[in-house]
Amino acid sequence: MKRLIALVATWGLAAILPAAAQESPTAEQIVERSLKAFFYQGDDFKAKITMELIDQAGHKRSRVLTMLRKNAASGWNQKYFIYFHEPGDVRGITFMVWKYPGKEDDRWIFVPAVDLVRRIAASDKRSSFVGSDFTYEDVSGRDLDADTHSLLRSERLGERDCYVIQSVPKEPLEYAKKIAWIARDIYLPIKEEYYSTQGELLKVFSAESIENLSSAKTTYPTVLKRTMKNLKTGHRTEVTFGTALYNIGLKDDDFSERYMRSPVRSWIE
Amino acid sequence: MRRRFSLVAFSVKHPRLVIVLAGIVTLAFATQFAKLKTDTNPKNMLPETSDVRVWNDQIEQIFGLYEDMIVIGVSNEAGVLNPRTLEKIKRITDELMQIKGIAGRDVSSFPTITNVTAEAGFLKVAPLMTDIPSSSGDLEALRTVLFDNPLFVDRIISRDGKVAAIYVPLEKGANGKEIADTIRRIVARVGGPEQYYVAGDPVARDTFGAEMFKIMGIFSPIAGMIMFLAIYLMFRNIPLALSMMAVAMISIVWSMGLVLGLGFPIHIMSSMSPVFLMAIATDSIHIFNEFYFRYRECRDRRAAILDTMEAVGRPVRYTALATASGFAVLLFMHIIPVQVFGGLVAFGTLALRLLSFSFIPAILMLVNEERISRASAREDAATGPMGILLRKLGSFGAFRPGLTVAGGLLVLLAGAAGATLIRINNNMVSWFKEGSAVRVADTVMNRALGGTSLAYVIADAGSGDEPIKDPAVLRTIEGLQRRLEGLPVVGKTTSVVDIVKRINRALHDDDPKFSIIPDSKTAVGQYLFLFAMSAKPSDLDNVINHDFTKANIWVQLKTWDAQAMRDVIMAIGDYKLQQRTSLDIRPGGVAYFNLVWNDEVLGDMVRGFAISLLVVFAILALSFRSLKWALVGYMPLLFTIAIIYGVVGLVGKDFDMPISVLSCLSLGMAVDFAIHFIGRFRRRWEERPKGGAQPGGGELADALLWTCTRPGKGILRNAVLFASAFGVMLFAPLTPYVTVGAFIVSMMTLSALTTILFVPALIRLLQGWLLKTARDAGK
Repeated sequence: MKRLIALVATWGLAAILPAAAQESPTAEQIVERSLKAFFYQGDDFKAKITMELIDQAGHKRSRVLTMLRKNAASGWNQKYFIYFHEPGDVRGITFMVWKYPGKEDDRWIFVPAVDLVRRIAASDKRSSFVGSDFTYEDVSGRDLDADTHSLLRSERLGERDCYVIQSVPKEPLEYAKKIAWIARDIYLPIKEEYYSTQGELLKVFSAESIENLSSAKTTYPTVLKRTMKNLKTGHRTEVTFGTALYNIGLKDDDFSERYMRSPVRSWIE
Repeated sequence: MRRRFSLVAFSVKHPRLVIVLAGIVTLAFATQFAKLKTDTNPKNMLPETSDVRVWNDQIEQIFGLYEDMIVIGVSNEAGVLNPRTLEKIKRITDELMQIKGIAGRDVSSFPTITNVTAEAGFLKVAPLMTDIPSSSGDLEALRTVLFDNPLFVDRIISRDGKVAAIYVPLEKGANGKEIADTIRRIVARVGGPEQYYVAGDPVARDTFGAEMFKIMGIFSPIAGMIMFLAIYLMFRNIPLALSMMAVAMISIVWSMGLVLGLGFPIHIMSSMSPVFLMAIATDSIHIFNEFYFRYRECRDRRAAILDTMEAVGRPVRYTALATASGFAVLLFMHIIPVQVFGGLVAFGTLALRLLSFSFIPAILMLVNEERISRASAREDAATGPMGILLRKLGSFGAFRPGLTVAGGLLVLLAGAAGATLIRINNNMVSWFKEGSAVRVADTVMNRALGGTSLAYVIADAGSGDEPIKDPAVLRTIEGLQRRLEGLPVVGKTTSVVDIVKRINRALHDDDPKFSIIPDSKTAVGQYLFLFAMSAKPSDLDNVINHDFTKANIWVQLKTWDAQAMRDVIMAIGDYKLQQRTSLDIRPGGVAYFNLVWNDEVLGDMVRGFAISLLVVFAILALSFRSLKWALVGYMPLLFTIAIIYGVVGLVGKDFDMPISVLSCLSLGMAVDFAIHFIGRFRRRWEERPKGGAQPGGGELADALLWTCTRPGKGILRNAVLFASAFGVMLFAPLTPYVTVGAFIVSMMTLSALTTILFVPALIRLLQGWLLKTARDAGK
């Protein structure tokens, strides 16, 4: 009888344990999957994006742009192409980024008013993206090993079960730590809080709308509306993705100086 | 009048009851001290709803600016561009970010300020110094970048490369002194050989506010102690000396209790009132003075008190009235703290007088009679050094009236001439002594850099499609900047134009030819967009509003003088006329606030002063029931203020807040002695043994000399008491207190001397005109 119980217990444990291990990936694994889900889904991606920059008094400034993105065949390398539609006087400005993890990006800008393409030194990935509350890293992803990640707990946030991950930058930054709620099912960040050294809440990111976009047989859960709010200045930026398409067949050569000056019509319409 | 006398009689009859009652009332007022609130910020002298504060709040909102900014200077005689000094600048900057109350994200310093350059085909919009340059090549590159960029020279680096600056914006409500102290601790830790300076309006303002209360706490008791000692030496009786101090304290408690009870905070202005009330309280000395004389004559305490009060009651009442109304006029001014201050002192003065007629007689009744009789035995008008001095002075005036009055008129004219040179100006930095940390920091920084005093000039292009991006508008702004920089008081201006020109040059391979405004509006728009892609959001927000209809020009001034801002406003006006621009250009910022504060608060005080002059004359006329005597009594006041303001004007001392506050005091006090003198003289003259019908020279001279030596002794005692107590202030660490000390010492001495010298001379000279009427009136 005792043997039987022992047997059943062992058997039962054996059944449970691996499953538990599977459900609890390490913090690094969670963040890595999250980066893939948030910034690297599909082979390429195109979206028409509206950014509303709203100051404390409620004044709005808009930026309308088309963003193209293509992943390298392997690894974390990526290419970005951005075409600005609005405000009116910047229509036609294009911006291109070749992104290499662990190394500074290459960036170019085309300024139609002087008909010049210039390389831009990208020394600070933490600087604001086109005057918004998002940084360049918020737009294109932060290197996985730039932070020390730890899994604080799992909890429900709204309608989703989330991992709560703390990420502490290895180099001193304008924030001391980030707490992220990452959905367990789709691995997209639902909310992020940035704290100062004194524990003050500085910035809050939130994903307000997530939809499943499908391409061929795959569906890609995608954040279509997101907000970054700076609690110190009261300034916030709301970003809405209009048309968003995966796997439109972009080629590496499409991300070149030639297309910066005269982008392919179908990309930017 | 009858009731006053009965108050004295009542007090003499029930001295203990009066003292207990006074104690109870005082306790009642003292309970209000629980509500004590202080407001050391001179800014709050103007209400939050005042135009200038509303406007400045708007500017701060529109351009994402901070109310206050501290500037830190890092100075190295060998130049700051070496790895060790740069490392220190970086360390300080990093540590600043951790201080609560500092807007870390907008600190402008080598490691944080946005730099636009073109290097090796790269356009770079990034913080100026992300890593400390170690090789000589890197250092040279940094040097080139710094001195090549007008956005940096005179702003974060001095032309000679010896001083670097860090601009530290403060969050709303942060205390400038506390943050300055924290910064001083940080730089002390970082250490030399570099010198560090902490300057800026919040440092001066909050340091002054904090020091002011501290000094009042130290000097009020010291002044009180010295007065106590002086009274004791004069009257050789401790209870008497104590009672005078008690009267002062009681009136301070009453009036402060009233103000606090009404819910007002103690502003810097009213924090001076205890000292003032202590000064005004010394007027009671006339009572003691006369009491000693009377007691010596009749040896009956009760009778002596009643006689004394009858003799000095009238002048004491009217001097109190004059003093109180001098301050009460302030109640009708616009600035609330000015009203509070005026009301507080006026109420305190009235309280003092009430106590003079009740508390003091009560004390006199309780003092050991033996002691009084011993002390008063020494009291004799004719003898003693004081008596001899008074006699000499009085005789000079009485026997050489022409010479005296002519001399007086000359002084009056000279004083009036000097007074025309007075500048109404409040420069808070100059309230600190030369050699003090605040003053030195300001001087050094203003010499090396563009200036620690910051003004904003807002150019409003009206509505329309982003009109500021129009190259023509930008050129107008650029022209204005050059015009303002032509003023000697302006060290540096910065605007969106500088950014546009910088981008233009950087886009064109750093070719200095392109350091100009481009010709198309689209180009301007794209440049600014390009800049905003990489710069900190505040870089653009601080100089341009969200829809590009308004631009903000930062104007750094090399002095906190109000005149500097006036110069800027004049230059703006000229420029507008000359350019016929449709731009609406308006000043703002701290320097502008200080100018408005200066004009409003000090203007209010000057208006109050002018009205007080009239009111005091009216009270004189009322007191003497004669315009002629009022004119005579007015003369010492005129002489005194003419001499004081003449000197203020001639030595170039500004008419600032402390002086303006003192001016009100001076009127009330300087007229006191004349009221006593003339009041007592006329009484003496009427009571003179009736001999000849006509006022003879001998009789008149006798009466005048009697007045000079007997009530005159009270006057001189009063003056000496005052002067000795306030002389202490000459050693205060902040100049406004030195001013207060010097002002009061000279005012009391001058008004006592002019009263004793000129009034007899005037009476002699005008005897026909004055005395006949006086006697007619007496009939």
